Amino acid sequence: MNKEPIIQVKNIGMSFGATRALDNVDFDFYPGELLAIVGANGAGKSTLIKIICGYHSGYEGKIFVDKKEVELNSPKDAYGFGIQTVHQIINQGVIQSMTVAENLALEEMLAPDQPVLYNYPAIRRRAVEIASLMDLDYLDMDVPVFSIPQSDRQMITIARALSSKPKLLILDEPTSSISENEAERLFSSLLKLRDRGVSIVYVSHRLHEITRLADRVGVLRDGKVAGELVKPFSVNNIVHAMVGEIDQQAVRKEDVKANKNKIKLELKNLVVQEGKPPINLRLYEGEVVGLTGLIGAGKSELAAVLFGIEKQISGEMYINGKLYEPANIKSAIKEGIFMVPEDRNNNAVFSDFNIRQNIDIPFLDMFSNNMSVLNVSRERKEARRMVEAMTVKCENEEAPIMSLSGGNQQKVIVARWLMTESNLVILDEPFQGVDVKSRSEIGQYLRDNIGTSTALVIATDLDEVVDISDRVIVFNQGVMVGEQEAGEIDKDQLIHLTSQTLEEIFS
Amino acid sequence: MKKMNITDFSIKWGFLIVMAVLFAAFSLLQPAFISAGNLFNILLSVCIFGTMALGETFVLITDGMDLSIGSTAALSVMLSAYFMVVLEFGGFVTILLVLGIGIVIGLFIGFLIVKVKIPDLLATLGMMFLVQGVQYIPSGGLSIGRGAIIKNGKEAMGYFSEGFKYLGQGRILKVIPVPVLIMVGVAIIVYVILSKTKFGRIFYAIGGNPEAARLVGVNVKKYKVIAYVSSSFIASLAGILLAARVGRGDVGSQGTLLMDAIGASLIGYAVLGARKPNPFGTIVGAIFIGMLMNGLTMLSMQYFWQDFIKGTVLVAALVFTFGISKKQGT
Repeated sequence: MNKEPIIQVKNIGMSFGATRALDNVDFDFYPGELLAIVGANGAGKSTLIKIICGYHSGYEGKIFVDKKEVELNSPKDAYGFGIQTVHQIINQGVIQSMTVAENLALEEMLAPDQPVLYNYPAIRRRAVEIASLMDLDYLDMDVPVFSIPQSDRQMITIARALSSKPKLLILDEPTSSISENEAERLFSSLLKLRDRGVSIVYVSHRLHEITRLADRVGVLRDGKVAGELVKPFSVNNIVHAMVGEIDQQAVRKEDVKANKNKIKLELKNLVVQEGKPPINLRLYEGEVVGLTGLIGAGKSELAAVLFGIEKQISGEMYINGKLYEPANIKSAIKEGIFMVPEDRNNNAVFSDFNIRQNIDIPFLDMFSNNMSVLNVSRERKEARRMVEAMTVKCENEEAPIMSLSGGNQQKVIVARWLMTESNLVILDEPFQGVDVKSRSEIGQYLRDNIGTSTALVIATDLDEVVDISDRVIVFNQGVMVGEQEAGEIDKDQLIHLTSQTLEEIFS
Repeated sequence: MKKMNITDFSIKWGFLIVMAVLFAAFSLLQPAFISAGNLFNILLSVCIFGTMALGETFVLITDGMDLSIGSTAALSVMLSAYFMVVLEFGGFVTILLVLGIGIVIGLFIGFLIVKVKIPDLLATLGMMFLVQGVQYIPSGGLSIGRGAIIKNGKEAMGYFSEGFKYLGQGRILKVIPVPVLIMVGVAIIVYVILSKTKFGRIFYAIGGNPEAARLVGVNVKKYKVIAYVSSSFIASLAGILLAARVGRGDVGSQGTLLMDAIGASLIGYAVLGARKPNPFGTIVGAIFIGMLMNGLTMLSMQYFWQDFIKGTVLVAALVFTFGISKKQGT
C-alpha cells in the first residue's frame, strides 16, 4: 500500500464563541484506507468534517493535499482538491422537487459549460452511468426525489459523490437512516472503492460497523484526538478511548449522602421506547445518580419523559410516592422536576440576556407581584447569590452571558435550576464544552447542595459520570443493563456494559 | 471598567444625535418649525402609524413579522363608518365591535402561524390581502359618509357620534391632540409590559431562543398568538383613531400605514443601540419620520420625495444597527 498520505490536517482548531469545538487535531488520510472517526456527541466530529469539506473557513491550523499546503475556504475549494462529502442530513444533499436523474447528475446539470437549452436526455444518460457506480439501476430515473424512500435518497448522494472520482470520500453517519440490507450494499461498495485507492473517512457511532470496515480508527474526545487505533481492534478498545481512561484511584468512596430510606423517584414498568423492555428504577433523596451509555442507548428518551416533553408508552412514575404524570414541561417544573438540557447554545442560553435574566427565567413568578411587574432588585440579589455560590467568573450578575467562557455559561445554566428547591434535577450532558476546572466546580456544587433533592446526571463520557455520582447506571439499546455504587466502580465492567451488544451482555 | 470607544458611543447615541442635529437645523432654517402648533402637528401626523408600530413591536420581539396591520387598520376605518353611519350603532358599541374584530383577526393569524404552521411572513401577507379585501364588502366598494347610497339603494342616515370623533379630532386644553395622548398612553402601557413585567421578559426570551424558552416551561405558541392578537388589536385601535379623525369611511385608507409602522419599529432598533425591537425606540422612530417629513416639507420639499426619504432613513438605520454593531461581540 502506498504510505504517502494524500491529505493531512495539522493542528486544526476551531472555536464557536466561548466553546472550543476542536483543539490541535492532527489526522493523515492515506489512499486505499478506510479511516473511521468516532466520538461522543459534541466531541467535534462534525466540526472536523465540516472543516475538511470547506464549510468552516475560519479554522486554525493547516491542511495539506499531496504535501502541498492549501486553504479550504468553501466547499468548492474542497471539491477542487477531490474531497467529496456525503452529509448526515440526507435531504440537504438532494433537491426533492427534481427527478432522480437530475439529482444524480446534479453537478453536470449545474455546470457552467452546459448548453443554454436544457438537454434532459443527456443528463439522464449521465445519471444512468452514475447510478451504476452504486448499482442503483433499479431506481426509476424520472420520478421526483420526494417520492422515493430516504435510503434511496442516501444512495443517490453517495453515487453522486463517487461520480467525480474523489481522492477523499467523507461519509457522515451514512447508515443512520438506511436499512441493514442497504447498509450491506453500501459497505461492499465502500470496500471496493477503498481497494481502488480512494481514501475514505467514515463517521459513525455504530461501533460494530466500524470494527468490520475500518482499517484505522481515530477517536475524538472533547475536541481533541483521544487516540488512534490500528487494526485489529475491538468495540471495547474503541469505547475505552471514547469515554475516557478512568483513574481508579480518583473514584470517590465516601461522602455518599443518599438517604436510602426515602425514595424520591420511582419508575415502575416504565416503557419510553416502542419495543423496549420496561424500566424499573428507584432514585433516593440526596442521591446523585449517573446515567451513561452510548448514543442511542435510550438516555435522552428517558429524560424527555421525566421532563414532560414526551409521554411514556406505558408504566408509571412516582415522585415522593405520589403518581407523577406531567402533561408538559411546565407541569414537570411545577412538580419540581428540572432539566439542564443537552447542547447549551441551542437549548439553554438566551444570548441577548444577561446572567441574571438567564438564571431566573423559569421562575419569573417568584420575582413578580400580582400585577406581574418584576422586582429587579430581588432578581439581582438571588442571581448574585447563585453567581457567588457557583463561582461564576464575571464582572457582576448584570454582565451579558455571552461575555462568559463556555464553562462559566454552563455554571449559569446549572444555577438556573439549582436556585430553587426541587425534587429531581436532570442534567443532560452537562459537561459538554466545559473546561475541566468548571466541570469539577459544577460537580462539587451539585454534590454539596443537593439537599433533599436528587440529581440524575446523563453523560456518555464515563469519567464525567463516575466523578460525580453516588451510583452509575448503564443503558444499552434502550435497556438498563447494569448499575454500580460509587465504592465499587469497575471501569472494565462499565465499558463492557456500555459497548457490547445485548446478546453478548446477557449470554 | 469598560472604556467607551467611538464605535460604542456612536452605536448608543448616534441616532439621537442625528435627530437632535436635524431638529436644530430645521429650527434654524424655518423658525415656524418649533412653534408649539407645528410640533403637535408632527405628533398628530405620526400618531396613527406610531400606535400601530407599538403593536408591531410585540410581534417583532418574538421574531415574527405582521404585514397585515395596515389592512386591519383600514378595515377598522370602514367598519367604524359602516357601524355608525349605515347600521346607526352608537360610538361606544362601535368601538367595542371594531376592537373585537381586531382581536379575532389576531387570533386567526395566530392560528395560521401556530397551528397550520404557515411561516409568519406568508401568513400575514395572505391576511393582508384578505383583510384589505374585506373592507370593500359591506359598502360594496364605496366610501361611507352620511348620505351615501349603500348597496340596497337606501341613503345611509347614521352619523359619527361626537364622542367618537373626539378621539380623533379633540384637543385637551385646546392644545394637545387626543390621538397623540392615546399614542403616548399606549406607548407607556406597552413599555411597562415589555420592560417591567414577566410577560415582556418571556416575549424577549422567545425571540432570542424559542427552544430554550420551551425548555424552561414557556408555552411558546400561546405567547406567539398573544403577540399577534396584541398587534391586530392595537392596529384596529389605530384604525378607530383614523376614522375619528377623518369622520368618514374611506376605502383604501391603509395607504403607507404598514410601511411607516414597520419602518418606525425597525428604526427603533438603532435607538440607544438597542439592536432589538423596543417600544421607546419605536416611538422615537415614528417621531423621527414625522419630524423629517414635516421639516423637509416646510423647506419646500416636494411630496413625491417622501417615500424615497423614508426608505433611505430606514435602510440607513438598519445598516447602522446590523452593519456596525455586529462587529461587536458574538
